[in-house]
Amino acid sequence: MSGNSRGFMQSEFMGKLMVAMAARSSRNRSLLDRLCRRALNRLTALPPEEDFMRDPLIDNDEGFDPEELDRYQRGE
Amino acid sequence: MREGVTTKRALCASCDIACSVVTEIKNGRVVRVRSSDNPIFRDHICMKGIVAPKGFANPNRILHPLKRVGERGSGKWEQVTWDEAMADIGSRLQAVVDRYGPEAWAVSTSQWNTSTDHGLGRRVMNHVGSPNWISGVALCAGNTAAVNRFTYGWFPFGDFNNTRCIVLMGHNPRRHSWTPIYNYIRSAQQRGAKLIVMDPRRSSSAERADIWLPLKVGSDTAMMFGWLKVIIDEGLYDKEFVAEWTVGFDELRQRVDEYPLERVAELTGCDPEMIASAARLYATHGPTIIPWTPITDMQRNSTSGIRLQSILRAICGYLDVPGGELLQGFNPDIINESEIEMHHVLPEAQKAKQLGSQDHPAFTYRGQSAFREPTRRVYGQEYANLVMGCHMATPSATFQAMAGEGPYPVKAFFFLGNNPLLSYANMPMILKGMMNQELIVAHEQFMTPSAQLADYVLPADSWLERPWLHDMFGWMSTVRFSEKSMDPPGDCRSTFQFWKLLAGALGQSDIVPWDTLEDFYDYRVARTGMSFADLVATTEVHFAKPEFRKYEKTGFATPSGKVELKSSVLEGLGFDPLPYFREDPPRDDAYPLMMFTGVREDGFFQTGHRHIPEMRARHPEPEIYLNEKTARTAGVRDGEWVAVENQLGRIKAKLAIRDAMPDDLVRVPHGWWKPEMPQGHGQLSGAHDYADSQLCRDDDDFLDREQGIPHIKGIPCRVVSLMSPSGDAEIVDASLLEPVE
Ligand code: SF4
Repeated sequence: MSGNSRGFMQSEFMGKLMVAMAARSSRNRSLLDRLCRRALNRLTALPPEEDFMRDPLIDNDEGFDPEELDRYQRGE
Repeated sequence: MREGVTTKRALCASCDIACSVVTEIKNGRVVRVRSSDNPIFRDHICMKGIVAPKGFANPNRILHPLKRVGERGSGKWEQVTWDEAMADIGSRLQAVVDRYGPEAWAVSTSQWNTSTDHGLGRRVMNHVGSPNWISGVALCAGNTAAVNRFTYGWFPFGDFNNTRCIVLMGHNPRRHSWTPIYNYIRSAQQRGAKLIVMDPRRSSSAERADIWLPLKVGSDTAMMFGWLKVIIDEGLYDKEFVAEWTVGFDELRQRVDEYPLERVAELTGCDPEMIASAARLYATHGPTIIPWTPITDMQRNSTSGIRLQSILRAICGYLDVPGGELLQGFNPDIINESEIEMHHVLPEAQKAKQLGSQDHPAFTYRGQSAFREPTRRVYGQEYANLVMGCHMATPSATFQAMAGEGPYPVKAFFFLGNNPLLSYANMPMILKGMMNQELIVAHEQFMTPSAQLADYVLPADSWLERPWLHDMFGWMSTVRFSEKSMDPPGDCRSTFQFWKLLAGALGQSDIVPWDTLEDFYDYRVARTGMSFADLVATTEVHFAKPEFRKYEKTGFATPSGKVELKSSVLEGLGFDPLPYFREDPPRDDAYPLMMFTGVREDGFFQTGHRHIPEMRARHPEPEIYLNEKTARTAGVRDGEWVAVENQLGRIKAKLAIRDAMPDDLVRVPHGWWKPEMPQGHGQLSGAHDYADSQLCRDDDDFLDREQGIPHIKGIPCRVVSLMSPSGDAEIVDASLLEPVE
């Protein structure tokens, strides 16, 4: 992989572009930030049904009820 | 958004991965943890993160400082204030330091506390004068970081987003363990990247691999020699890079020639053609990454195994290229933890006393000192404590000193977010050492077996209850921020507060001059031109400017400035400068099976989480795995209670038959105890029954020479039934569980 071939320079450029887009996506404030987030969203989305370890515990999680947590904490 | 719910952006610290998550808060408490809305963190959530609000609400959480009032381990405590506790701790620690020297104070940390102490512990210790800091990272990533430096001066992180091939060496990231890595691999495979898996088990990753090498447990190092033999003989390496940027290639080639494929096939139990195919795929389908794996961290050939990974990366030209192994360096905008630690204030004479550094120096001050100048040259500072693993004492040597069997006594032992009895090898020695202490202090969330032996147990906060700045262990240059989501319950306090109060109690308040954690973070991020509050509000990740092949400008951070295939530093320390393979010692027929331990179970992180009902529903009892044939030969059946025994000790567990296990191999679960069982010395909440550290040997045959870390991937053992002859589900004789002589 050493050398300065065109392919290599291109991959470096793409690597830097990905980081720049990720930085914008993480900020998510300006229009350009949001566009980057949308583009990354499209680029990285994986169909959930292809998650070979998909777990309903995660898919169906709705969190806890605060009163229930209070009672649990009090040992009731 | 549900009514009355507010959200915060946080980093989960229920394990050491630090997923970016969102917390949902209602009535002042976190009621839900879900994955981040940012697509770069999509699906980074596991069951331990989801259940965190309940885990930290557990009624048995320690909420107030406790002082021991009976004998050590008697379970008798009185509630005291933080001020009372810290005043007494400070004066007793000072008395130990005055009587035995500062090196008589040792500190251990890990688990929920990994990376949340920000180097403040080392900072206080360095000012007091003790080099004896140990951590679970000694056999999990920290040691890998230190050993990687021998080859190219830093610890690379694989560029999963752009790679074309991934090699998992025994590592098995899953939906609920190492979750982001699991997601990265899934995503890379979707893009067409290849996956090579070396694993004795047919793991879930092996099932999805393009090539699976079912090697013998503990033979990873031999396997890599086989790969190098093929790659060098067939000229598949990057000749230009090797000629320009490496030293020691000819010597390496000679060493590799000692490992023809037939020999490697014999040592690993794998077909030579498959070994060659995997090697060719690795070298020709790049850029390829070998992500960090805990497996090579925990073997008698650990140093050589980690070095061979580094060498493969280097000679194939994958260093610091897109899709390869990135050498990122520190983020220039943040004051990193290595700076906070202030290693320069610890006198050289004290550094030289670091336990373990004479016999096993690899990750101690002594072993790493040759990198000070090169690190300054390349990364701008002398000390780079990557993954906290580059200036540690050796755990086994520390426990021996605590037990009165070292070069000098250790008489005060502090542990933060760490359960040392169950986290290191040779629990009997750790126990002996702890019972021989004049002062033991635990900063903990729950009454762990180790905390049960303390003089003081101080209540610790959780990641939901404090802000956090995470600099990726100094490993990567990205920095992330976490908001405080709720107030801590009772008197729970952060490690920042712990170290600040201790510095004050020792009359050295100026060591930790910041009033609050937020002030401390403002200091660390000042170079960004923003406050911590601004950063946390406006960005999830602060990236450094990406650059590749930086070594072309700076050289590598090694003494030669090149990739050292033959390590000048190891040679200077008196070790073989080239990797080598130590075979297993002669077998004792009484122990015909091999066991491995150290694996994470999905519901738990290290020794934690056994108190959470949802997690225990998934793993109610500790289970060992055997295949059907091995179980039949051992005379044990699926679902029954069995004992696993070796020369060091014995544990009990339920047997689960798994056809993914190879013949004669036993998988032992790591870190088991039961919070519901009786506490105190002699009981330790079931640790005497279940803790795998009772089987982990640390005698010379079972230690890596350079690092002194234990070999836990291939320990001879036997499995015996604990059922009555009639097959009743009863343990026949509880005395069977007494420690073996
Ligand atoms: S893997 Fe799970 S426990 Fe670990 S940080 Fe991510 S969500 Fe938390």
